[in-house]
Amino acid sequence: MTDHPTPDALEQFILGQLSTAETREIAFHLLNGCPHCQQATSTLWEPADSFEDPTILDVICQEEDEASADGYDAVLDRVFDKVAATEAAFAAQRFQAGALLAELVQVPAERQHLLVTNSQRFRSRALCDLLVEESHETGFQDPRRAVELASLALLLVDRLTAADCGGEDVHESLRARVWAQLGNAHRIHSNLNEAEEALAVAQELLAAGGVSLFDRARVLALLASLRRAQEQFAEALRLFDRVAGIYKKLGQWNLMGRTLLQKSLVCGEAGDIEAEMSLLRRALDLIDPQNDPRLFLAARHNLIHALNESGRSREAFALLFHSRPLYLKMGDRMNLLKLRWVEGLVAAGLHRHDQAEAAFREVREAYAGLGLDYDAALASLDLAGIYVAQGRTADLLRVTEETVAVFQSRSTHREALAAVLALCGAARQEEAGAGLVRQVSEFLKRARNNPNLQFSANP
Amino acid sequence: MSALDQPQVEASLEILLRDVQPRLKVLFARYRIPPQDTEDIVQQALLALIYQRQAIRDPVAWMMGTIRNKCLLYWREQRRKLYDAVDAAVLEFMAEPTAPDQEEADLRRDLTHAIEQLPERCRSLLSLRYSQGYEAPELAERMGYSPSSINKITTRCLAALTRHLVASGILCEENRS
Repeated sequence: MTDHPTPDALEQFILGQLSTAETREIAFHLLNGCPHCQQATSTLWEPADSFEDPTILDVICQEEDEASADGYDAVLDRVFDKVAATEAAFAAQRFQAGALLAELVQVPAERQHLLVTNSQRFRSRALCDLLVEESHETGFQDPRRAVELASLALLLVDRLTAADCGGEDVHESLRARVWAQLGNAHRIHSNLNEAEEALAVAQELLAAGGVSLFDRARVLALLASLRRAQEQFAEALRLFDRVAGIYKKLGQWNLMGRTLLQKSLVCGEAGDIEAEMSLLRRALDLIDPQNDPRLFLAARHNLIHALNESGRSREAFALLFHSRPLYLKMGDRMNLLKLRWVEGLVAAGLHRHDQAEAAFREVREAYAGLGLDYDAALASLDLAGIYVAQGRTADLLRVTEETVAVFQSRSTHREALAAVLALCGAARQEEAGAGLVRQVSEFLKRARNNPNLQFSANP
Repeated sequence: MSALDQPQVEASLEILLRDVQPRLKVLFARYRIPPQDTEDIVQQALLALIYQRQAIRDPVAWMMGTIRNKCLLYWREQRRKLYDAVDAAVLEFMAEPTAPDQEEADLRRDLTHAIEQLPERCRSLLSLRYSQGYEAPELAERMGYSPSSINKITTRCLAALTRHLVASGILCEENRS
């Protein structure tokens, strides 16, 4: 080839838009080492190389960008008009989906399946979204219902087409989210095998590549929670890092803060309390207390807890003092109970045993009154710790026997009962020390959502 | 969401779009995405935003991050097309049965020379591919790679060759510095 390719041809070459014959012609022209054309192609190529490092982009001249950006107006205006119309339609669909969900939850499970399977009315992407959200919200309050809702969402998503969802990628993203939520609901319901199977399907969908970045983060976060429940802490930490990386990329600082909070829980369970506190501090910097006061308070609460656990009870006390208005602002019963409980823990850390005992008694009775026996048992163990510290063996035996009786009457899972029985046995022999109380308490916290854990007391 | 919320959502979407438009233009210009190719990118991102509005905390940051990522994917896809096109062109040229004339002989020599500039792994792989006509499974076996990874490695080598073709000016500068 003696003539140079045109600038347009070179650009199309770089974009891979030419036929094989045309590509060959330009490739061999470049192979000849034509300095003129190599200069042109390297200019076209170079910016894309710097894309992997977005900071390099910031040094590119802003005026140059703006001058060359005018060609986009027509396209953006056209898309915005189209999307505004879709937005209105979607809002209407979502409103209808709310009514469909209300209708669905009023009928028995078999009828629900029939409606979702056979009725055209229920074939709605917005309904599928709502089922996933509802399953997530229901989570810990009613794990069985959360599984049922996610199963309905799965039934529905398999009947939706790409056209129903607004595209193949959107359908794949929704499908991945449904499978991940089903896995999450199973995890909360303590069916770890079923959780693993469902999340394995979600992972396959991620690997196929059609799932959006945001949904990828949401799926990976649920997978990380499963790994945490399975006590695969290293893998859970790695996954939370990936999730945090995606949220960082998407500028979702609040969600990144939430992810760091979740990651801190893994560190805490793995026994790395310094890492836990460091992550909680970073999370608190990212979470917006105005937009998400509950999440902010949860991070503060955990930090107070971690400071106290690590022996820095004075710091915990100071942070608790500054955080009290946040608990009171929330004002709900559960947050006020959390406040009272952590007040007891910090008082115990400061050896103010009378204050701690009063707080733990109050918390225990409040949880028992609400029928939350597991929480009442955990408060009882904190009370037991005070009795051990004060050498009150009779009170210790009484509180452990009461806890055993509650667990037996409520058919609490076997290993939790075994742990409390071990403590009760030691109390009878007057051999229960602070170490055993702590071990049982830690075990009950870990076993709460994982009844497959086995208790063994370490000497 | 109640029906009463709807106008408010529409209004907020309009404000968001107005706010984000100048920044999107700059972003596309920086990434040198041809205007005709931006339509799909923006539409997909905006629809995802609408569908997931409840879960997204900072819509503008989300939009910018999502579109930046889509721009990267766009270029990755374009580059992959280019590597495939260069590969197909070279394979077709090398497979031509006729005896090469002077010009073709020069091209073969230039190609060999270009391949010699690449890292060792790519030199071996591309020489086997172009001179001996090895297919992916044979390449994997011969070079000791797993069948699942050979395509990825071949793509990296094609990327190195293509980069050498189109950006040798940059490479010369880099080597000099």
